[in-house]
Amino acid sequence: MTTQINVTETLDTSGVLCPLPVYKAALVLKRMEPGQVLELTCTDPGSLEDIPAMARQRGDTLLETDDRGATQVFWIEKGTTL
Amino acid sequence: MISKLEALPQLTTDRAAERYDDIRELLPDADHPTPLVRVNRVAADLSLYLKLEWLNPFGSIKDRPAAYLLDGLASRGELEGRELVEASSGNTAIALAALATLAGTKLTVTIPDGVPEEKKVVLRMLGAEVWETPDELCPVNHPKDGAIALARSLAVSEGGNRYVMPNQYENPDNVLAHYETTGPEIWRQTEGRVRVFFAGFGTCGTLTGVGRYLKEQDPTVKIVAIEPQKGHRLPGLKSFGEAKEPGNLDWSVIDDVVRVDDEPAYEVTKRLWREDGLMVGPSTGAIVHAATVYGLESDEIAVGVSPDSGLKYTSYFAEMLGDEGLPQI
Repeated sequence: MTTQINVTETLDTSGVLCPLPVYKAALVLKRMEPGQVLELTCTDPGSLEDIPAMARQRGDTLLETDDRGATQVFWIEKGTTL
Repeated sequence: MISKLEALPQLTTDRAAERYDDIRELLPDADHPTPLVRVNRVAADLSLYLKLEWLNPFGSIKDRPAAYLLDGLASRGELEGRELVEASSGNTAIALAALATLAGTKLTVTIPDGVPEEKKVVLRMLGAEVWETPDELCPVNHPKDGAIALARSLAVSEGGNRYVMPNQYENPDNVLAHYETTGPEIWRQTEGRVRVFFAGFGTCGTLTGVGRYLKEQDPTVKIVAIEPQKGHRLPGLKSFGEAKEPGNLDWSVIDDVVRVDDEPAYEVTKRLWREDGLMVGPSTGAIVHAATVYGLESDEIAVGVSPDSGLKYTSYFAEMLGDEGLPQI
């Protein structure tokens, strides 16, 4: 992480394949308040495409992505539309 | 040690007396079939009979494959120490949830969004965990059937040790259930005179299993599949314009396909309730509508499946009815 982000919730989906990370992330974001940040850890390589697309579709903001090879970490700020 | 149950006074199962030791003994077979009832008014010019599958113990045609799927998993040792996960529009899940509890395990079901609330509540009442799933779950380049994809994902998660997925769409035990029970029942109940059989595209266990059995008895029996339109609201039915064809579909037994819109399906459903006293679900309306437009001869005996009752769709019907049946003052 290159900038300081105040994380509200964390979710680790290591070991599970799409669409489970997207599904679980959407459930957690649903209960969060606009402006709060989810730190999401994935190991499914498809997440590098799926998570940014999910954030766009939901109206959330993907603040940052850290691709560590076997693991990907996403910081998503909940938007106001959903 | 004598179990508490064994110490209690007992009657033995007697099907003639309609007395059973266990709810699972009500599952149908050729000697104890679900009823076949003529559609006297909505299809007045035809010899169309409906097989009332909602009179099965867990309320739908899916009682048959659910029992076979579970027996298959148990006999292969795949059920031991595991929970079930399955994608279902509700009816298979309801039967699996009930049977799973009786077998000492539990069910997680991934269910397409848009399935009526009634089914989700029934599943939760039966102890199942319900994961409602949009079809377009994965935003990028993934299958449209989100519920199936999610069930598969759950099945391989946690090292694949927690869950086993019966996979009703690909599992031949689904077809076998209908080949060994539904097909023989229809043949015997119609005294071998059935000429046309109607059922909807879904998991295709019914079409393939019944189709194979009936065509083995008489290759000229016609098997007609009903397909809804894309974006339909007919739970249990599948449009292959938007869903993947299941491995259980055997095109070689399908003679014709009739495509049905939602509106006539719901209109016929309403007429079946009001004119024939048949409190069926919307997929039955689609099947009966298809039979009435198919071009049956008046001397042909036709059988359609009535997969479930309408009591699980009252929220859909309330939308359809609007103010109908309320005082207009």
